Amino acid sequence: MVQSLAAWRVAGAVERSRDGAIVIRGARKDIRIHPAPSDPMFRWTVTIDGRKRRAISLVAVLRQVREALDPRYAANRVRVALTALVPY
Amino acid sequence: MQADVIPISILTGFLGSGKTTILGHLLRQSGFSHTAVIINEFGEVGLDHELVEASEDSFIELKTGCLCCKIRTDLALTLQDMLQRRDAGKCSPFDRIVIETSGLADPAPILQTLMTDTSIAGRLVLGGVVTTVDTVTGVSTLQREDISQKQVAIADKIVLTKLDLNGPAQPALLRRLAELNAGAPVLSADRGKIDSQCLFSAGLYDPHARSLDVNSWLGEERHSHARHDADIQTYTLVRREPIRAVTLTLFLETLAEHCGADLLRLKGIVNVAESPDRLAVIHGVQHVFHAPVWLKRWPSNDRSSRIVFITRRVPQRWVEALFEAIAAEVADVSVGC
Repeated sequence: MVQSLAAWRVAGAVERSRDGAIVIRGARKDIRIHPAPSDPMFRWTVTIDGRKRRAISLVAVLRQVREALDPRYAANRVRVALTALVPY
Repeated sequence: MQADVIPISILTGFLGSGKTTILGHLLRQSGFSHTAVIINEFGEVGLDHELVEASEDSFIELKTGCLCCKIRTDLALTLQDMLQRRDAGKCSPFDRIVIETSGLADPAPILQTLMTDTSIAGRLVLGGVVTTVDTVTGVSTLQREDISQKQVAIADKIVLTKLDLNGPAQPALLRRLAELNAGAPVLSADRGKIDSQCLFSAGLYDPHARSLDVNSWLGEERHSHARHDADIQTYTLVRREPIRAVTLTLFLETLAEHCGADLLRLKGIVNVAESPDRLAVIHGVQHVFHAPVWLKRWPSNDRSSRIVFITRRVPQRWVEALFEAIAAEVADVSVGC
């Protein structure tokens, strides 16, 4: 998460709390990320300004955190090229 | 393999860096005779096409505006029209296309257009990106103009020009080029003269040999000696253990989602865990990725996965950490299943 904030050029400090949560401080919002190992479907809980949301994967966690912290964020979706890299 | 597929290459470089001079010489070479050329000019009155003496076997489309931002649709339509005319026998049967961009063009959106337009898909295969760099003003241009940095960073080959005016390239320029793109071989043009075969054999697929040159295309050995620019960085992610297909998919999807515009180019060969007997070749430009090409043979005994990144301010540590985190989660879920 430290590297993610740097990659997104977003301010904030990342700490580990005593209960094992990842806490992002000093950013636009207060964010806590808890692992949810007992839930096989939703592996993470992301709490943003007190509001809890479940996340199915690390990728989903990153998306939620980025949406909360980066007002300029507009997700690019992968597009698969139609032109072949080599001839068929 | 489809026989009648046409390689398309991009000749780019900043204003005045010698693109048109090189093109003029190329069009006089017999090896370049069956080449269709598109010249893109920026301005109300185009001049570059007047400077190129085209043989009858070449034809030139002139556009005003910039391919990368204003007339991408025109590019696809132009290519579609050229292919239809070729198929109908209404023009010379060209076997290669070269696009000379305007000096202010960003080559990445042009590559994306070539990769994703339905009207031309299946007929074209990406050749390579060739970028000209003026040895007289190159250092200052690269310092001043962001777009010139991107033109160099994304190149498969770099051509130094105007050596006749300036003598051998300055070490400062060569260092700068290595910082921006250590993977691209640096060639020299003698008053615009350069061998066309040498110049445009930059893609993964060599249409003349009808073979694949993965190592050369990847340029990984050269990238491994890369120095880093503050903005544009090249680095290689190496993993000795096979990578699960879902890990690779999630990794590429997350990269595209979070840093698509800054992911200038990505090239790699991947040992996919589910397909141990063959290797996957991957390629992406910003958020557009090719479907993997599966090859039956590895280029060497080294079975490690190597993915070369050319990025604008995407930290290598984040890429490494992201990959490890996704791989760990995928492994964890797999154990749970």
